[in-house]
Amino acid sequence: MPTPVLICDDSSFAQKQMARALPDDWDVTLSFAANGAEGLDALRAGKGDILFLDLNMPVLDGYQVLETIRREDLNTMVIVVSGDIQPEARTRVLALGALDFIKKPIDADKIGEILDKYGIRGAPGQTQPDIDFKVDALDRIQEIANVAMGRAGDLLARLLGAFVKLPGPKVRMIEGRDLHMRLSAIEASTAVSAVCQGFIGAGIAGEAMLTFSESSFADIATLMRHEGEIDDNAELELLMDISNILIGACLKGVADQLDISFSQGHPIILGRHVNISELLDYDTSRWNRTLAIEIEYRIENRNIDCDLMLLFSEDSLDALHERTSFLDF
Amino acid sequence: MPGHNTDIEGFHWLMDMVQTLDVGLMVLDRDYRIMLWNGFMENHSGQSAADVIGNNLFEQFPDISKNWFQNKAESVFLLESRAFTTYEQRPYLLRFKNYRPITGTAEFMYQNMTLIPLLSPDGKINHIGVILYDVTDIAIGKYALEAANTSLAKLSRTDRLTELYNRGYWEECLQVEFARYQRTKQTSTLIMFDIDHFKKVNDTYGHQAGDEVIRLTSRTLRSSIRTTDIAGRYGGEEFGVILIDTNAEQSHYLAERLRKKIAALKIGFQQHEIQFTISLGVAEVSPAMSDHAQWLSASDQALYQAKHGGRNQSVVFAG
Repeated sequence: MPTPVLICDDSSFAQKQMARALPDDWDVTLSFAANGAEGLDALRAGKGDILFLDLNMPVLDGYQVLETIRREDLNTMVIVVSGDIQPEARTRVLALGALDFIKKPIDADKIGEILDKYGIRGAPGQTQPDIDFKVDALDRIQEIANVAMGRAGDLLARLLGAFVKLPGPKVRMIEGRDLHMRLSAIEASTAVSAVCQGFIGAGIAGEAMLTFSESSFADIATLMRHEGEIDDNAELELLMDISNILIGACLKGVADQLDISFSQGHPIILGRHVNISELLDYDTSRWNRTLAIEIEYRIENRNIDCDLMLLFSEDSLDALHERTSFLDF
Repeated sequence: MPGHNTDIEGFHWLMDMVQTLDVGLMVLDRDYRIMLWNGFMENHSGQSAADVIGNNLFEQFPDISKNWFQNKAESVFLLESRAFTTYEQRPYLLRFKNYRPITGTAEFMYQNMTLIPLLSPDGKINHIGVILYDVTDIAIGKYALEAANTSLAKLSRTDRLTELYNRGYWEECLQVEFARYQRTKQTSTLIMFDIDHFKKVNDTYGHQAGDEVIRLTSRTLRSSIRTTDIAGRYGGEEFGVILIDTNAEQSHYLAERLRKKIAALKIGFQQHEIQFTISLGVAEVSPAMSDHAQWLSASDQALYQAKHGGRNQSVVFAG
């Protein structure tokens, strides 16, 4: 009898990657869910003896799913699959009853290893049919951003010694004239400081921008064990240290997955203690429509607000789509 | 190295270019010993590669801010990610003197720095690369622009004749002060005053005499108020002063003192001796006002009463 396996991930690209990574000779009935609530419904309907669960999802996230499984005593074995690779995330899900934790991007060998370790994979059955569902180009980039965000988040967590909340990246096409609007949606009226850094490699180029709300400095300084007064210069140092790590790790995360490497320009301090609407005096009308990845980093129990945006140049979209389409193995 | 030349030849070319590059390059090991020192570093520091290779960076250059540099470098070793610093954080890592007598614009070289992790054959990060860029011209250009903007901003809010704030900027200050009052409920008082029969001065002695009267009035005003008070030229011969954290009674005292000082002035202009007076209206901010314009109008009403009551006097707005 085939084993009911449920894959719960908000990215259809990640769902597909996961499905493809399952052993070919494992006799399963696959079901998919796009958020925690859908996932729980499928579990209650008996569609998931084994559940591969993502953590960062809309409606109900992975942690909430684990809590509900425990509360309702649902009969399933959960393997968490996440781009959030902070050691603390692993500890938390294991404490909530997950069997194991697999880091994204998914590695087929690792899956096989874990299935064998827990004796989940029974006798070989028939080879499963090839799965073919359409994956949107933006959805692929979303998943790449998700993994890159997780890596950068992990470095930040290690640097600060705190748990970083990762609500999931937003990937979208934006118009040049809308850049101001997008930015003002990040921070309505509070003063911010911002750093920009250009990157280029393998026909893909763009600029990363990190904005840091004024009120964050005090808490960041505490976490980084900064001694002495937090004056203007100390704030600048903190801003640069954080931007080095977040921008660097995020770009490296993207580059590694695409199997390329980026040259990074020198960072530019775009503005300090300014209203976000004053930040961009630059003429952005040279391009019409391009891709933006927006990532929010929040620190648990701390007043730290830090947003990273990767804005790709218009002419790198083709190369980006071509590179990411290689990932549909 | 791609191409059909031998690796050795390519390596020599590369070394030549590293030596000649107008960018500072050095490699440090885990104990901060200098392992590479290119031509730029030799020439600007005055210390040859032979003198520094193998030595500890901080012993060789005791002026380097050790804690700061180590902090950045350790994160590159540990997190295996690049780090960038700008001249805005620290002007330089190593103090290199200005070397251009004609076009050199600063005393020393401003530097941007990049730190990169260098992978060893064993797969570990045992060394870091330090890249120093000369950004003196950029830094000086930026500081000059900032200074120019600051002085432009000052010019654009100052009235030429009186050197007080001009009307536009002064009214902005009044608006800000009113907003502050609404937030904190800390009182403030506004004095509006103008020179009595100013037109007669102009008509009798000419505009130059009029200008002199205005100049002397503003000078007297400036010397009579505190540094926290905000004085502006509101119109031709009309002035405004915002007295922070001051009530109507205290302000009335100040208004009277100013009035008496001005009445006692004698201006010698050509063979004439000119004397003149001012009338003042005083209004403390109140919860009944909903914007700064109402506050301004209250002082104006008091000023009107002072004029109507025979000039050379100050009147407090009665509400």
